[in-house]
Amino acid sequence: MILLWLLIVPLTASPLAFFLRRRSVMEVVNLAAFTILLCLAAALGFQVLRSGPVSLWDGFFYADDLSALVVLLTSFVALVCSIYAVGYLRQDERNGIFREKQELPSTLVIPKLREYYSLTPLFVFSMVLVALANNLGILWVAIEGTTLASVFLVIFYGRETSLEAAWKYAIIGGVGLSMALFGTILTYYSAHQALGTETLAGLNWSVLVENAAHLDKPTMRLAFILILLGYGTKAGIAPMHTWKPDAYSEAPIPAAAMLAAGVLNCALYGLVRFYILTSKCLGPQFASHLLILFGLLSMGVAVPFILVQKNFRRLLAYSSIDHAGIMVLALGFGGPLGVLGMFLHMTFHSITKPLLFFCAGNVQQHLKTDLFREAKGGLIHSMPLSGVAFLMVTLAVTGAPPFSLFLSEFTILRAGFSGGYLFLPILFITFLVAIFSGFLIHIARLVLGPDPDLPPAETCRWKKSSVVGLAVVIIVMGFWIPAPLFRLIQGAADIVVNRR
Amino acid sequence: MTFFQNPEFGDRIITLMAALVLVLQIAAVGQRWLVSSIRIFAVQSFLLATIAGVIAYFNHASHIYVVAFLTLFLKAVLLPWLLEGLVERIGIRREIEPLINAPLSILIAGCLTLVGYVVAESFYHPEETSVRAALGHNTLGVAIALFLIGFFTMLNRRKALSQVMGLLSLENGLFLAAISLTYGMPLIVELGIFFDVLVAVMVLGILAFRIREAFDSMDVSKLRKLRE
Repeated sequence: MILLWLLIVPLTASPLAFFLRRRSVMEVVNLAAFTILLCLAAALGFQVLRSGPVSLWDGFFYADDLSALVVLLTSFVALVCSIYAVGYLRQDERNGIFREKQELPSTLVIPKLREYYSLTPLFVFSMVLVALANNLGILWVAIEGTTLASVFLVIFYGRETSLEAAWKYAIIGGVGLSMALFGTILTYYSAHQALGTETLAGLNWSVLVENAAHLDKPTMRLAFILILLGYGTKAGIAPMHTWKPDAYSEAPIPAAAMLAAGVLNCALYGLVRFYILTSKCLGPQFASHLLILFGLLSMGVAVPFILVQKNFRRLLAYSSIDHAGIMVLALGFGGPLGVLGMFLHMTFHSITKPLLFFCAGNVQQHLKTDLFREAKGGLIHSMPLSGVAFLMVTLAVTGAPPFSLFLSEFTILRAGFSGGYLFLPILFITFLVAIFSGFLIHIARLVLGPDPDLPPAETCRWKKSSVVGLAVVIIVMGFWIPAPLFRLIQGAADIVVNRR
Repeated sequence: MTFFQNPEFGDRIITLMAALVLVLQIAAVGQRWLVSSIRIFAVQSFLLATIAGVIAYFNHASHIYVVAFLTLFLKAVLLPWLLEGLVERIGIRREIEPLINAPLSILIAGCLTLVGYVVAESFYHPEETSVRAALGHNTLGVAIALFLIGFFTMLNRRKALSQVMGLLSLENGLFLAAISLTYGMPLIVELGIFFDVLVAVMVLGILAFRIREAFDSMDVSKLRKLRE
């Protein structure tokens, strides 16, 4: 039943916001829906930990530790983004963003807010469906749904550049996902020969994983390549990453944060499910080599673009490409350590990334630009809170020691060495160090320096509370992971390693 | 009328229609009028619906009838109608010169067909002498060719709507692959895919319309502000 509620809550919040006329009510509906969703996700996590996988409707919906973890992270990201969105959209209104060429004082605001507050629950709904669908076909439908629900969030500001970004996002995503669909069809075909079922269960992951050893091998080989290219496009792995900087820099900040911290997990979730099937059918070698190749390629592609980046919103997108690469690489290193490292990284990344976006959003709204060139530096004087948080989260996201991403990256490094590789982990460290220094130089230059005499930033309590709250969570997670969360991560890693 | 029950007769029909779909696809590659490529897509979808219907008839699989009917309604009637309406409203009827000229494009499409057959070869198990294996072999080749040609069309064309047409023919290839390999996906999955395709075309249509309004053109190569 809990699985159904997890889907119903965001699905009702969307049309509800569509018919509302007052901003405060829309905000309340959005916040309430995501708060309930987070509670439900936590409840699901406890239930899975206590009594194993949950399923509903003959296994149509299915949740094990892996799904519960992804649902929990998604709903956490959705909630913090919706808290931030309240302050962010109010600030946009004060800055007169919605009042375009025509001198219409407020008529445009409500339709715009309605667009945002009815599309985000739909977006979150499809992300939750990705994790809860047992059927791999439905998984595909849901991932395609995340693209469709978020295209209009990318063109939220209606600029020419947003149209360009949205077009790239939709077309590249569409082509990528059609490859993933082909991979799904081939998987069904290889199961079809082995299982001989023509029922719905033939595409259910829980059925396929039992029989994975009997799947047709050449078919699965091609299927995995197509799935890797397809869901890899959605996760923004190089060389299919080109939509990412554009979409991330054009979407409103809370939506971009959801793309970076939510959709990424969902796409990797799809990849992990197929990875389990493939490595059980063909042995781990084949999939691992491909994953390591694409993972290192993504990190390598991100390095030069981070070093010479002129725009701090695009900088965040390249950081996201880098992190997608790290997670894929961790899965490729494999073994208990590598997989554990991947899920730790996924968790810490989802908690850290939104704050990076929020700080960038605060800076952008204050300066009304996202170019380093036009920002004179010394932001810490006019916006002390966001400035300090920006520096802190930069250290956190690049994996500097007291913060939790250091732990996961270190785990992945150990997995690399213990997996018998020597050159690859060294390359991994080199990329990490390059990204760390590039990132830190850019942000330090932006935040520190002499006071350029800007007016003090307006302090909105919604923006403040989401930044402070998330910063506290990040600091705490650096030293202490709640035991149930860690057990959930371990459980997810266990599913991959032991291929239950 | 015994040949109506003969599965071999059904397979011949299916192979014939799959071949027609492929011929139409290659014709679409050289096509520069948007409306004609939309009509070609409609005829292709009609043929695919017929293939689904024939498979349903010879295998007594009632759920495929639903798929066939939906294909007929959505892809052969509704989507072409929507797209033609969009072409009317946008007022751009012709594709500008594609990156690669028509004769060379058709040659490339021919080569891609060969590639499709070579890839399909690896799924062919000669020890399985059932009719179904042979059927899968032929139509899968066509399906992969459709997929690759759709991909090529998207790279080669610059108008927003032509790219959408490329995406749609890619999807048609997938549909043919699914129906010929496994007699279609489970019904609920097919419904989900239909829904997604419909919404995707609407979303892309709205985007194309807004691009046309903002840039006074539908040339996607004009979208080049976002650069490093």
